[in-house]
Amino acid sequence: MRGVGPLVAAVTALWALVVLISQVWAEPPLSPVGTIVAGVLLTNVAILGYGSSLRGPRQQRVRARPNREDTERRAELPERPVGLTDEVVDAAVELLLPLLGGDAVSITDRQHMLAFAGPGHDHHAPGTPLYAPAREEVLATGRTVTVTGRDGDVIRCPQPGCPLRSAAIAALRVGEEVIGSVTVYRGTDDPPEPDLVEAAARILSLHLSVAELQATQQHYLDFELDALRAQINPHFLFNTLNTIASRIRTDPEDARQLLVRLADFFRYAVRQQGQFADFSHEYAFVRTYVTLEQARFGDRLQVEYDIDPAVLGAEVPVLVIQPLVENAIKHGASGKVGRTTVRLRARVDPLTRTLQVAVRDDGVGMPTATHEAVLAGRATRDDGGVGLRNIRSRLDLLFGDRHGFEVRSEPGKGTSVQLQVPLR
Amino acid sequence: MARSEMGPGTPRGPEEFDGPAEVAAAARTQRRIALGYGLLFSVAILSVPLLSVALPWWSGARLVGGMSPSFVVAAGGLYVFFLVVAVAAATLARSVEDRMLGSSSDEGPGTER
Amino acid sequence: MTGTDTVSLMVLAVVGTLVSVVAWRRTRATTVDFYLAGRRTGMITNAGAICGDYLSAASFLGVAAAVYASGLDGVWYATGFAAGFVPVLLFIAAPLRRLGTVSLPDFLAVRFGSARVRIAAVVAVELIILSYLVPQAVGSGVTWELLVGEGIAGLTPYTTGVVVSTVAVGGIVVIGGMRGTTWNQALQFGFLLAVAVWLGALLWAGGFSYPAAVEQASTQPLQAVVGERLVEVPNQLTGEPARFGVPGARYGTLGQLALLVTLVLGTAGLPHVMNRYFTSATGRAARTSTVWVLGLAGAFYAVAVMLGTATRILVAEQADEPWLAELTVDGVLRVPEHALLVLGRLLAGTPGLAVVSAAAFAAMVSTIGGLLLAAAASFGHDVVARIWRPSGGPREAVLAGRAAVLVISILAAAAAIAVDPERLLATFPSLIATMITWAFALAGSALTPVLLLGIWWRETTARGAVAGIWTGAAVAVLALVMGLILGPDVGDGLSAVLFAPALVAAPLSAATIAVVSRVDTGPPVDPRLWTRMHGTAADRQAERLARITLRGRR
Repeated sequence: MRGVGPLVAAVTALWALVVLISQVWAEPPLSPVGTIVAGVLLTNVAILGYGSSLRGPRQQRVRARPNREDTERRAELPERPVGLTDEVVDAAVELLLPLLGGDAVSITDRQHMLAFAGPGHDHHAPGTPLYAPAREEVLATGRTVTVTGRDGDVIRCPQPGCPLRSAAIAALRVGEEVIGSVTVYRGTDDPPEPDLVEAAARILSLHLSVAELQATQQHYLDFELDALRAQINPHFLFNTLNTIASRIRTDPEDARQLLVRLADFFRYAVRQQGQFADFSHEYAFVRTYVTLEQARFGDRLQVEYDIDPAVLGAEVPVLVIQPLVENAIKHGASGKVGRTTVRLRARVDPLTRTLQVAVRDDGVGMPTATHEAVLAGRATRDDGGVGLRNIRSRLDLLFGDRHGFEVRSEPGKGTSVQLQVPLR
Repeated sequence: MARSEMGPGTPRGPEEFDGPAEVAAAARTQRRIALGYGLLFSVAILSVPLLSVALPWWSGARLVGGMSPSFVVAAGGLYVFFLVVAVAAATLARSVEDRMLGSSSDEGPGTER
Repeated sequence: MTGTDTVSLMVLAVVGTLVSVVAWRRTRATTVDFYLAGRRTGMITNAGAICGDYLSAASFLGVAAAVYASGLDGVWYATGFAAGFVPVLLFIAAPLRRLGTVSLPDFLAVRFGSARVRIAAVVAVELIILSYLVPQAVGSGVTWELLVGEGIAGLTPYTTGVVVSTVAVGGIVVIGGMRGTTWNQALQFGFLLAVAVWLGALLWAGGFSYPAAVEQASTQPLQAVVGERLVEVPNQLTGEPARFGVPGARYGTLGQLALLVTLVLGTAGLPHVMNRYFTSATGRAARTSTVWVLGLAGAFYAVAVMLGTATRILVAEQADEPWLAELTVDGVLRVPEHALLVLGRLLAGTPGLAVVSAAAFAAMVSTIGGLLLAAAASFGHDVVARIWRPSGGPREAVLAGRAAVLVISILAAAAAIAVDPERLLATFPSLIATMITWAFALAGSALTPVLLLGIWWRETTARGAVAGIWTGAAVAVLALVMGLILGPDVGDGLSAVLFAPALVAAPLSAATIAVVSRVDTGPPVDPRLWTRMHGTAADRQAERLARITLRGRR
């Protein structure tokens, strides 16, 4: 829905229609220049319209339950190295079998057979224990070993009719750690080429290491997000509850509305799944938050939103914009006596396909120490810089260096945070 | 005082509430949309009489049987264009409203748990 | 030539209207009910009612007449009428409904918090309504003349038509209220559309080819009846004889521009059409209704243009028929307004004529009804209940509204009788459509700029609004009066601009508003008001209630 496919189709259809009307149906046909001008104009309109419109159906705000697969995969994690899923190892042995010049191929972890292809697969089924004593050596040392002949019980298969007579065994590694083995078997006493088997095992190992790294990053991201959710500022909750309590007598209707909004706030913050959400959801979250803060600060806090319609359907990292606004309010309204204005501006740059979010306040500005700490990527909790630091590190993980994050602060004049993330 | 007569047509329940700042933002965005579509609309309808002066082909050629392109557009094409603009603008305006106003829990089907 | 069946059919239409009004009338109407049908009307019903208000004699007889008389340049009326709803949809529909007022003057008064704005707006509204009523009455007079051909109680046939329609509709509005007319308007629009489509289907069944008809009509120069002779119409663009399918039969470029701008801007300021928006359930429903209006009205106008084209061909072919010979000079209709009526008779005999006449009367009745109601609302509600006697209570306001209906219908009928269609027809080829543009010009000059700026520009002040309304109305009236005095043949494009002055008056009015508001140091708009006008809280609440109700029913 969000790609340029529909646009290409629309522009093609437009040109076809223009040519058909002005050249084929019309008598006499329009001059070619006229046709081209008309086509170019219509194309421009289509492109502008496409860029500035909202696309895609509105997604549901809160997913009711966490994804079941996620939970299962997490439950498996301690037992099996990341990446060695059943599908992967099954596919791998089928792929390796014709390549490595053996009659059968197997992949194991440190205790069990994971996958086996070739003659003997009936009794070397996945899940059976490992027999060959030579594999113990491989798992222990990481060296590649070849074994030959049934007589020496080198494979030591308990099945009397097993056709396998020789094998080459290589270690599977993630990083430095040996996590399993790749074995190539032959039905003759001439063992498979060990170098070939080792090369295959190394390729597999490399793949596993990458998968492991990605999983680690994912865990780290989840962890950061959890940290952010968990650190919804206790002062904020405390202050809001105080505000509500003080209104219950004077303005019960207002208090009720605030309670509803507070519930909204927590529902969104806690239930949010995944790393991305529609901008409009994040925007609603920000508005909820601002309403609650405005109840506390009253006229002292003014907020101005300036949102381009094309932004609303874009996907943004979750819980990124609200902490920026919270930060602005914290450094603006809290420390200042007079009125503070916080401005949230969001635009899409269609050329670079980036989303630009700016949060500015005209408050007291950050203390220089905090500002430097934020710039350097470290901050202590007391400074309120945790939000910014957390956002920074999550953006680094999500986008690498394809994003921009800029904090400017002048004491007495206010702070401005600018964020640029690629559109997905 | 002027409101007391408004009658039961506009119930203002406790849960629904718009903040001035968010409405101001939504209105600005809506204004931008309306002006954009307004521009498109003006250009389209003004181009028809202007083309009949600037481009002889426009009223001289024959498109469907005996009609000139100008006649086809004036007698039928523009109505289709108006409808397309109307549907597009109304859809966009509505989805902007949906996304820029209202709290995060009052979604239609999402709230029915 | 009038069969008793024709008259009885008309009587039937009028009686049907009355019956439905009485049936829908509630026993005790409150003020809001009287004006606004209790503010709860379905989306498509409302769209149909808006069309019923909007599609008047000008649309039903006038568009076909304009196309008959001026070919492609007449098509611009249809385009302009339909196009007018696009700005309404983009800029006006939703905020208008959301502020939750009763009439256009009420809306402006609440927006600017000023009684002066209210008075200025009421004056503009009554002026617009009056100038809109006159061509409707002229239309009923012309139809009566052709259909019945005899006067009652010593009046001329034309005068009789004017009086009968005015008395009938005025009575309906005074007795009933808008609730009756909302359904009526929608039904009447359905009837109009059905008649137009039926005529189109008859044409199609008879082997009619639209493109071929345009081609055929364009082969000879366009002719019009002046006095008892045929004259060739000059092309305003080239000076050659004008042809049916070629632009320029009526307007130069400037004239076309002026007409378009006038019609497009005018729709947003028509009180009787805009009043319908206050009866929408929500702001969103108002917007969606407008989308429907654009679809329905577009379909209607496309068919009407085709019917006008067909009449040009068929009348020329069958001018030998004795009854038609009376109405034509060498195969060209004397009065273009007769085009659709003649087409009905050509296609389906006397019953066809009767059906088209009934539809024309329905169009006039529904529009006159809407106009009178808007007049009543702006006078009864805005002048009496808000300014004159705020303590008077709703009963008094309704009474005042009814009185206003009587006064304004008498005024309109008098003006229509004073207008001598025979004389004016010589100067304006399609009189009804032309006179309607004058109402559009007033509306587009006086009310549309202040609506647009008031809704979308926070800094607009009450003083700016008052100045804008007066400026727009004054410039438009001045231009129209000058145009009528100087006649239609001054200057190149000058007369065209004088007869469609919104091209000049609306920008002037907008500039006045902007300048005065900038200079003025009045208070800015109340943020709560702005929130109500542009926010969706009430919409969401209404939609949520509707959802709960629906779920409860399951």
